[in-house]
Amino acid sequence: MEFTIKIERYNPETEDSHIERFTVDAPETATLLDVLDVIKDDIDGSLTYRKSCRMAVCGSCGMRMDGAAVLACKAPMAPYAESGEIPVISPMGNLPVVKDLVVDMAPFWEKFRAIKPYLDDGDAEVPVKEWRVQQEELDRIMKEALCIQCGCCVSECNSMQADPDFLGPAALAKAARFVYDVRDRGGKERLELYNGAHGVWDCTRCYFCQERCPKGVDPRDAIAKVGAKIYDAGMQSDKGARHAKVFVKSTYQSGYLLETQLVPETIGPIGAIKEIPFALKMAKAGKVPNPLKPHKAKKLDEVKRLNKLIAEQEKQQREAAAAGPSAGDDE
Amino acid sequence: MVRHDVVVVGAGLAGMRAAIEASRYGADVGVVSKLHPTRSHSGAAEGGINAALGNAGEDSPEQHTFFTVKGSDYLGDQDAIAVMCADGPGDIYELEHMGAVFSRTEDGKIAQRPFGAGGAPRTCYAADITGHVLLHVLYEQLVKSGVTVYEEWFALDLVTDGERCVGLTAWDLMHGGVQGVEGGAVILATGGLGRIYRGTTNAYACTGDGMSMAWRAGVPLKDMEFIQFHPTTLKSNGVLITEGARGEGGYLRNRNGDRFMYDYAPNAGELASRDVVSRSEQTEIDNGRGVDGCVLLDLTHLGAKRIMERLHGSRELAMDYAGVDPIEEPIPVRPGAHYHMGGVDTDLWGRTSMPGLYAAGEAACVSVHGANRLGGNSLLETVVFGRRSGMAAAQDVRSNGKGGVFSPAAVRVAERRIKGLLDVESGERPAVLRRELADMMYDNAGIFRTAEKLDACKAGVTELRGRYDRGIVIQDKGRTFNSDLVQAIELGAMLEMADCLVTGAVAREESRGAHSRLDFPERDDENWLRHTLAYNDDGEVRLDYKPVTITEYEPAVRTY
Amino acid sequence: MKQSYAYYPGCLASLSQKELDTSTRAIAGKLGFELVDIPGFTCCGAGDIHEARPEYYLHLNARILGQAEQLDQDTLLTICNVCTLNLRQANKKLRDDEELMARVNDNLREVGAAAYTGGVEVRHLLWEIAEGDGYEKLKEIACKPLTGLKIAPFYGCQILRPSKLLGFEDPDRPQSLERIIEACGAEPVDYPSKITCCGFPIVLAREEVALGELIQPLAEAKEAGADAMVTPCPLCHLSLDAWQGKASREADIEFDLPIFHLAQLVGAAAGLTYDELLFKRHLVKTHPATDKIYAG
Repeated sequence: MEFTIKIERYNPETEDSHIERFTVDAPETATLLDVLDVIKDDIDGSLTYRKSCRMAVCGSCGMRMDGAAVLACKAPMAPYAESGEIPVISPMGNLPVVKDLVVDMAPFWEKFRAIKPYLDDGDAEVPVKEWRVQQEELDRIMKEALCIQCGCCVSECNSMQADPDFLGPAALAKAARFVYDVRDRGGKERLELYNGAHGVWDCTRCYFCQERCPKGVDPRDAIAKVGAKIYDAGMQSDKGARHAKVFVKSTYQSGYLLETQLVPETIGPIGAIKEIPFALKMAKAGKVPNPLKPHKAKKLDEVKRLNKLIAEQEKQQREAAAAGPSAGDDE
Repeated sequence: MVRHDVVVVGAGLAGMRAAIEASRYGADVGVVSKLHPTRSHSGAAEGGINAALGNAGEDSPEQHTFFTVKGSDYLGDQDAIAVMCADGPGDIYELEHMGAVFSRTEDGKIAQRPFGAGGAPRTCYAADITGHVLLHVLYEQLVKSGVTVYEEWFALDLVTDGERCVGLTAWDLMHGGVQGVEGGAVILATGGLGRIYRGTTNAYACTGDGMSMAWRAGVPLKDMEFIQFHPTTLKSNGVLITEGARGEGGYLRNRNGDRFMYDYAPNAGELASRDVVSRSEQTEIDNGRGVDGCVLLDLTHLGAKRIMERLHGSRELAMDYAGVDPIEEPIPVRPGAHYHMGGVDTDLWGRTSMPGLYAAGEAACVSVHGANRLGGNSLLETVVFGRRSGMAAAQDVRSNGKGGVFSPAAVRVAERRIKGLLDVESGERPAVLRRELADMMYDNAGIFRTAEKLDACKAGVTELRGRYDRGIVIQDKGRTFNSDLVQAIELGAMLEMADCLVTGAVAREESRGAHSRLDFPERDDENWLRHTLAYNDDGEVRLDYKPVTITEYEPAVRTY
Repeated sequence: MKQSYAYYPGCLASLSQKELDTSTRAIAGKLGFELVDIPGFTCCGAGDIHEARPEYYLHLNARILGQAEQLDQDTLLTICNVCTLNLRQANKKLRDDEELMARVNDNLREVGAAAYTGGVEVRHLLWEIAEGDGYEKLKEIACKPLTGLKIAPFYGCQILRPSKLLGFEDPDRPQSLERIIEACGAEPVDYPSKITCCGFPIVLAREEVALGELIQPLAEAKEAGADAMVTPCPLCHLSLDAWQGKASREADIEFDLPIFHLAQLVGAAAGLTYDELLFKRHLVKTHPATDKIYAG
């Protein structure tokens, strides 16, 4: 079958960049990686990209196809031949480009190291044999454990585009893997690493990471899980956490989000004062609901009872989790 | 120029385990790897890692040893096997303490399942992504240890001072340029060489680099002719479907729907040893009972729930690369070059014939797998001998100090070699030779071998080596990230290693384990119960032999 | 399109984005379906309760779905991206896990709320009028085509991703808004950031980051010659409209881009007036665009 692709070339030594078009013959089952290989082998040996396993487990070949990050070894070419569309291949986003489709992964690995990416068993006396852990407990981190660190999520992260220091979906998903590992005793110290200016509260919830991930890690969900632990641990001083707290309080008090509470309680009194001109503009447009006439949902007592009931169950879960894994009876 | 007490080449399971251990013993460690560590091929392993934990029933290191010895068709060194099987449980528990997410039994212990020719259920697993899980847990520990990693540095040549190995030269892929890496000891953990075969489960990176470095430096390689063909690989690109699929109860069927394995292995059926299964499949295919050059791996009776829980990864692979959902239909599979039993000759501590040089993992041959490896034993080998060689190397450096002298001339020699390669303006493209080699090896030095085919192969490899030396053209003349250059160097290693393999195969006139000679179909213990050694004789392969260590089990007839 | 829906306006449409609720009710009549109000519905929790207290989020949404079920409605109509994702996610979780649904229902019953048995679909208004008979009806009621008006569609995030939970259309090449814009007689304007994030979830906690995101679609749509932008989400609307001033200052570009709610666009094409659609409530005056609409 014949396949045509366009590739964004970049040569760091000449600083030349241009889009180049290639047409090759490859089997019907060819992936993007197969097509790149044919080009490199038979047409232009200077075409540069990373690859290794060709079976979507090593994470080497992340790159953009029509602006969306994929693993080249997992992207089938047949649909393009059938539709006649010519995909444009470019390097992953949010990382510096080295040459052609190769990006510098150093910033990516730096963030990986910043989240304390190893089990912290604290001062626990390690058993002779294995820790006894239930499969259901491990199932809570199996999705995050699937991560092959390919960078597809990072490539598309909207927050990282606006804030390059954001820890990002890959690093935070890895963080979730430890936060929810019953054998980890990193505790609040560990959580603090994810609670800073560029931690979980920096995530804009665009869900691009979740959409792009080739392994089903669901990084946004993982970030939310870490956020949940942070919030549950009582670490609620970040504006992001306060923002969430308003929602909880609001629904308790009135069933709805009370926007008049949202701004001051999230950004604090001083912040709120600075926003007075903005608030006045909103008021003029009629967008500030009357704080004296709070909008209350009907059957609010149900909601209040529900909140209390769930809070009680959450407390029980928290206490159970604090116990940690057992070392087993027999030696 | 960089300096470390212990230099590890390769950052897969064996390399990282060695680095971590050497670091624990107080050595300053540097890891040189042509890939970022988590890209290593160890991550593709699916099925599991063996150890006699006894979590799925009665078991013992002795039983594990016996089945491994039998599986090796009695070519394995029994002292090494016994050590590996004895160390196994402790190494597994340590991996779990590091955080590995092994699948669990009802009472929270590490779960174990049966694997090919293993006897009792002994294979510990993490769903069907065991290699990935272990690779990442070791990388986490490597990061924790603070060891320096030179990633995307391509190792070129070992450097010796005439007596000891004193380091190596490497090409810095990101920036261009040759770097000298001086070490009190060097551990080669560079993996296998599957890429010399068309139809391989191996990653592109598996090109035998480290073995080639050792061979060129005068260190012998052992049992090179033994390469295992994995029975269940996908036709389109060689990707592996784990043995675990059969471990979970999958069937192999021919075009008539028969579970043909019971004709060849009446007791073990689908769970016979890999070489037996591969030969059986190939026989079915060659005799017209295949489907499109494949047999059928049938998982449909296992049900969606079991497949989603235990074989999720395999299902993804089948859907992505074979267009088949194993919940609905059988997967067409065929044998593919998978694991290389041979490698750098080492002792039980990873020591080679050259002081200061060690090897571990698939790049080494201790030998714990002999003529055929059991599934689940490769991952075990990497951690056991990675650990042992790391410890031995660290202790070596402690007692020997900095060892020998690293001459700066070595870097200049390497630079000249690279320049020589880049300067070639006309000649063949490496890919042409690579494809010819891969086809030739698969067709002539594959599952079923004959003198005629092997002789032709040897001649072919010799011709290719000549064409390579005459000059191949690297089109990318740039300095930054020149993967064209790296692939050309890899091709050189592949050709040398293919030569060692074929030469050994030509000479071995018997059938044993994965080496199957149609013209010598019987195992010949009288003449051939010995290891093949391949030396570098000024670029030619010179063979020698050494005895097998037999302690407990006298060679017996091997049936399943 | 259904004859009736359990109507879930969410919090913003009920309060600060009231014009969205008003416009939705107005066009419901024209499109011919009944909106059945859900007495006692609460906030869906947005991404915040979903993150901070996932169990509570699940129960709140199960309760809402249960309430819709109580009204004998098989479809819950949303008019907000975030509500849509939240409710659909909770719905799927409950339907996929019998044990979970049973446990949640036990809790609901204990506090006196109705249980949920999984019989409700959650659909955004956007989906109901982008294809099939809904689309035909839309074309029918668009008696005052918005000829000559260039409208930039802004999807935002949570009506498209994760596509496993939403799945109405290709998340990378959505066309629903474009089709609706065309059915209303206007010309859709294409630009890359129509599917990126407006930044609303962090516009208070991380304002600079949010503004960095917000600037992109505004600048690109402006560059592409749009007279106005339309969005199916009141949170995106708040970002794009109320925060547009700040974005302008940050980017040093006068965007002056009116932002329409989806229901307002449809309403205008269906002949509803400027006052009926409450355009005056926008912070960015809609005049250049609405003048064109209501000119003759």
